[in-house]
Amino acid sequence: MIRTMGKFSIQMLILIGIYQIGNLTVRIFHLPIPGNVSGIIILFFLLWIGIIKIDHIEMAAGWLLKHLSFFFIPISVGLMTLGPVFVTKGVSFLLVLIVSAFIGLLSAGKATQAVIMKKEKEKVNYHDHAL
Amino acid sequence: MITLYSILLTMSVYYFARFLAAKYSSPLTSPVFISTVIIIIFLVMSNVSYDEYIPAKNIMTYLLGPATIALAVPIYKNRLMFAKYFVAAIMGLSIGIITTITSAILLAKCFQFSKDFTLALTVKSVTVPVATEIGKIIHGNISLIVAYVIITGMIGAMFGAKLLNMFKVDHPFARGLSIGTIAHGIGTAEAVKEGEIQGAVAGAAMGIAAVFTSFIIPYLIPLMF
Repeated sequence: MIRTMGKFSIQMLILIGIYQIGNLTVRIFHLPIPGNVSGIIILFFLLWIGIIKIDHIEMAAGWLLKHLSFFFIPISVGLMTLGPVFVTKGVSFLLVLIVSAFIGLLSAGKATQAVIMKKEKEKVNYHDHAL
Repeated sequence: MITLYSILLTMSVYYFARFLAAKYSSPLTSPVFISTVIIIIFLVMSNVSYDEYIPAKNIMTYLLGPATIALAVPIYKNRLMFAKYFVAAIMGLSIGIITTITSAILLAKCFQFSKDFTLALTVKSVTVPVATEIGKIIHGNISLIVAYVIITGMIGAMFGAKLLNMFKVDHPFARGLSIGTIAHGIGTAEAVKEGEIQGAVAGAAMGIAAVFTSFIIPYLIPLMF
């Protein structure tokens, strides 16, 4: 139990450390990306070149991802300051956001799937030809 | 004292929402949405203002950064898939972002939104930390931007999977990409639950969409206004 907790804490510290390095590199090199995206890229590279192994962070990373929704709740509570806007503009406001989100979701999903299917079909055709 | 109350309230409502989502699966039980509604009701009833809630918010979101970079783990595990579908991903991502921004702005013009309200729509699909940075550059209204971004994330988390089912987008890579591109982190949190591939792709798409949007916005704004 204590051992597991110790392991979990060390893994968490590794993730916090890499996140801070991500923030730092963005600030030092004035990169046009956010600190968290830079952190994802750094962690990916460390995993790729083998400095960090999946085992070193998997327990904490899995726990954080399982509860990823939680971290957005306190930020969303900030919507309570928007009461007056909602009263006057609520319906059109929501309508614009919902319709444009649906259009974006469908076109992104359909386009991606179409390109994947085309690629996979080409592969099958090529295979037929070889036969 | 208020901070402790706010933290306990937020955590217990989150656990209740998870239990509810496991029992009754519906867009209305999507954890971020239902928890936010319940917490706001409690705060209003107990006379706690948002300013008083902020210290608790800062403590609870401390791990959001590390949680976001934890997405590198599923991305790494599925790296071969990313290489395989690279072209599809870039196509889907750019088409998704451009259609969602364009349709939002056209609709806003139909409803005669003020410039502030329309301008903020350009970053509605970008993850919160980046959206606020872009917001400063384009002189947008930051609190409005945050509201748009959160509500868009909730819409994606609540209805994204159902909408994609309805229109037969069933490839896990395409599903993850669509939700991550449009509904950033809040959508990604939901995609993670659907499957490892969906979660990994959504996380990567969120990051790439943020960078892509920040690059195109300076060119897009003169066209729109």
